[in-house]
Amino acid sequence: MGWTGKLLHVDLTRGTCERREIPAEILHAYLGGRGLGVRLMRDFFRLDPFDPDMPIIFAVGPLCGTNSPTAARLACVSRSPLTGTIYDCSAGGRFAWRLKAAGLDAVFITGQSARPALLAIDGARAELLPAGALWGKGVKETVASLKERGSVTAIGPAGENGVLFANIMMGEGNSIGRGGLGAVMGRKRLKAITVQGEGTTPVADRERFDAARADVMRLFRASPVIFGELGISEYGTPALVDLMAQRRMAPTENFRATFFADSGNYSGPAIKRECGAKKEGCYGCPIQCKKASAQGEALPEYETVNHFGALNGISDLHAIVRANSLCNELGMDTISAAATLSAFGEARGRFPDPAEVASLLADIACRRGEGELLGLGSRRLAEQLGHSEVSMSVKSLELPAYDPRGAYGMALAYATSNRGGCHLRAYPISHEILRKPVPTDRFSFSGKARIIKIAEDVNAAVDSLVACKFAFFGATLEEYGELLTAATGVEYGPESLKAIGERIYLTERFYNCENGFSRKDDTLPERFFTEPGSGGEGIDVPPVDRERFSEELQKYYRIRGLDENGGFGGRNILEELP
Amino acid sequence: MRDQISKYTGKLLADRSACADGIAFAAQDDVLITAGAPGLAELAGNTLSRLNSLALVAARPSLPFADFLIARAAEGEDCIVPQDTETRTFLHDIPFLRRKDLTGDPSPVLAKLLGNRKGVIVEGVGIVAVGAITVEQAFINYSSVFHSTFVKYLQDVLADGFRLPGEREAFQAFRSQWLRPLSAAGLDFVPSLPGDKEAILDEIERVGRYTVERGLVDSFFGNISAAAGELIYISQTAASLDELKGCIDPVPADNSSTTGITASSELLAHRKIYEQTGARVILHGHPKFAVVMSMLCDRKKECNIKDCWKDCPHVRDLGGTPVVAGEIGAGGLAKRVPPVIGASGSAIVYGHGVFTLGREGFGEAFATMVDVENFCREEYFRRVDGKVL
Ligand code: SF4
Ligand SMILES: [Zn+2]
Ligand SMILES: [Zn+2]
Repeated sequence: MGWTGKLLHVDLTRGTCERREIPAEILHAYLGGRGLGVRLMRDFFRLDPFDPDMPIIFAVGPLCGTNSPTAARLACVSRSPLTGTIYDCSAGGRFAWRLKAAGLDAVFITGQSARPALLAIDGARAELLPAGALWGKGVKETVASLKERGSVTAIGPAGENGVLFANIMMGEGNSIGRGGLGAVMGRKRLKAITVQGEGTTPVADRERFDAARADVMRLFRASPVIFGELGISEYGTPALVDLMAQRRMAPTENFRATFFADSGNYSGPAIKRECGAKKEGCYGCPIQCKKASAQGEALPEYETVNHFGALNGISDLHAIVRANSLCNELGMDTISAAATLSAFGEARGRFPDPAEVASLLADIACRRGEGELLGLGSRRLAEQLGHSEVSMSVKSLELPAYDPRGAYGMALAYATSNRGGCHLRAYPISHEILRKPVPTDRFSFSGKARIIKIAEDVNAAVDSLVACKFAFFGATLEEYGELLTAATGVEYGPESLKAIGERIYLTERFYNCENGFSRKDDTLPERFFTEPGSGGEGIDVPPVDRERFSEELQKYYRIRGLDENGGFGGRNILEELP
Repeated sequence: MRDQISKYTGKLLADRSACADGIAFAAQDDVLITAGAPGLAELAGNTLSRLNSLALVAARPSLPFADFLIARAAEGEDCIVPQDTETRTFLHDIPFLRRKDLTGDPSPVLAKLLGNRKGVIVEGVGIVAVGAITVEQAFINYSSVFHSTFVKYLQDVLADGFRLPGEREAFQAFRSQWLRPLSAAGLDFVPSLPGDKEAILDEIERVGRYTVERGLVDSFFGNISAAAGELIYISQTAASLDELKGCIDPVPADNSSTTGITASSELLAHRKIYEQTGARVILHGHPKFAVVMSMLCDRKKECNIKDCWKDCPHVRDLGGTPVVAGEIGAGGLAKRVPPVIGASGSAIVYGHGVFTLGREGFGEAFATMVDVENFCREEYFRRVDGKVL
């Protein structure tokens, strides 16, 4: 129950697709999604991301296919060409649901096709088809031309051309973002995957399941962030724009400032008013945090509006919406694209204006002109320009829109994240800013090492269920553990799920350490330790105290059982894990 | 974290939910620390060290109700399922360990139970509650368990009478010694709330403190607001009523800004109440006797509705205060309270708590809440006395 126990193994070099069994112990110990994908990487994590044998794995979880709120999701796992770390990204939508309905827990793709290919899955059948006619096409056209085949996930020109922050776009507007897995797929010459399936996911204990589901829904309704009238269901993540401005931690002009006077132009209410935003979202999710314009165009998320807005000094909402649409169409990550443009802007002394943003984005996707260099992301760009200080990244992943000087848990979590500068690994914004489950003092490091460690474990489990992080603005692992137990018939609770999360986290960390990552990489760009943010209205935003930061990092290592250098002290933990 | 531990030890003492000599905390960062009553501190430390959580409190409640609930529970039961909103929403149920099953060090089983739930009762020892990420959270969960067992015990006594030796005496002691008269006497309120921000924030902070100091409500559950022109000043979600400084959001009435995303989950209810009553201020908390009494319904026998707390369509009455059903947040309470609260200036939500209004300032809202709770208290004991227990 819960799992199908099957994986589709696809070898693009040999042109084969075959179904294989996944041992039940592995599924019980790693759940699915991120955990399963990370476990399946065990024999491959040392390979170069662009090595033909590097797998790219799409894995759903045991809750997918049931009506657990937000659980129609998958994780995509591989090694990132941008960061060099192990990489996973969670994405929602029908594609995940149908993959499960095709009887699969995962698709494991390896090899490299000689010619552009399409992987078509239809129930028990799977085949590789030529996709030469689609190569070079944008995401919309690709998805549209494949829609009779079911749900589609595809790369755009950015992925084909190896942009290091190319996304894999899900047909319904979601994306597998940030780490450049689109480029990994492009290198394999895999243009798209389609999936159709009719199977259903049985639930072991229906009554218990329904009770747990009711508990989750009650907590969603009790959460102001989720269903409150100013929450993300109503305004999407741009509901955070006003809040981050008020807290004076909205990254502005490549993080030289933390307040942008014009941010009101792209706040949640402004987007609603100007674009007629209507609710949309992942299949099977009651929250529906995504917003689309009256014309059905996907509207930008908080990170995107801030980065194409404040971070580049742009206040025109429509220019921001255009940049977002362009990235989606070309198949690349909005956060990294905007942050790389911003670093470029600071290095040359002038941030790009809206028109230039549009033309540079097109150049990046095609790797032409300045786009060649910009397509490598901010860290490589800054180094090549001789201004390594302008890359606002951790482990080469561009930082999203929460300034670490405004939330010290966030500062620490950026540094310890296994996939580089990402807010979602530990998501301290939840308690430091949104007061969930309880508030913590954002300008204090006290207790943060333990909190971050726990949250990383929790979220690794969440990413393996797979459920959406936003669900946890209301619900907790207590209710999701119930759902999982009821669905699978295997007992899980918050502590056992955290233990699974810890296992996943340590595995990822181990892969990274084996690939040369260590304490030196667990840090923030220099700017945050030396320059203050934009204080005001009674809020002071000093630089992050370097000593306290290092001290807390060492605490974190100790709590994680790592050595002073953030390593495993010669221990091979893989031998200790299932 | 030591400062946090002393702060919340102080709160447990101030709200009289735990015995002074029976409070212990454990907290872990990279090292584990414990503080408080020696035996309990050891238990707290041993249990927390087995959990992937930051803090834990183990304390002996000032009332024996939790132990009585265990002793009254049928053989074979292993948890208590109170019917109030706090439990239903956040605790789900409260597992317990019986004295007779405690052999040796209970921390391994305790840790196992706390691996699934926020709080556990250990018979003869106390309430043990965990805080996943803060010491405050452990305190809140303790407080919730205390609240829920209090409410459930009072309900059970009214329904089934005393069953155990010593119960009657303990109940008498609770009634005559533990409970204190509730009143608003001697408190200072601004008679007519002015429109300026500073004055409003000051008054909200002060009144929030009063509600806790006077023992009207527990510190964590509840919210408070004031309307001023186009703004509603409202306490933030997860804010403690006795510590509202810096935790009050100004929310524009027309939703032109979303900074209020951190506002109380009852923002919608407050807004609708202002729209429909023209009140200046609103107070909301979970006074215990009102919670108990709200769940007594004469129609229970003939009514087909199972989930009374959310589905009951009736407006019942407790001493002139309307009682309605409705879940918190985006549930039903925001629909059912506003239409009924205007007439008496107060409303009770089934199994949840009380909303009161002030037309000029908080004096009226506070006094009304005291009156409602006093009425419910008296009515409760009237019924208890009327039954031959
Ligand atoms: S909350 Fe938003 S992102 Fe999460 S599953 Fe729902 S629609 Fe998708
Ligand atoms: Zn309440
Ligand atoms: Zn009824």
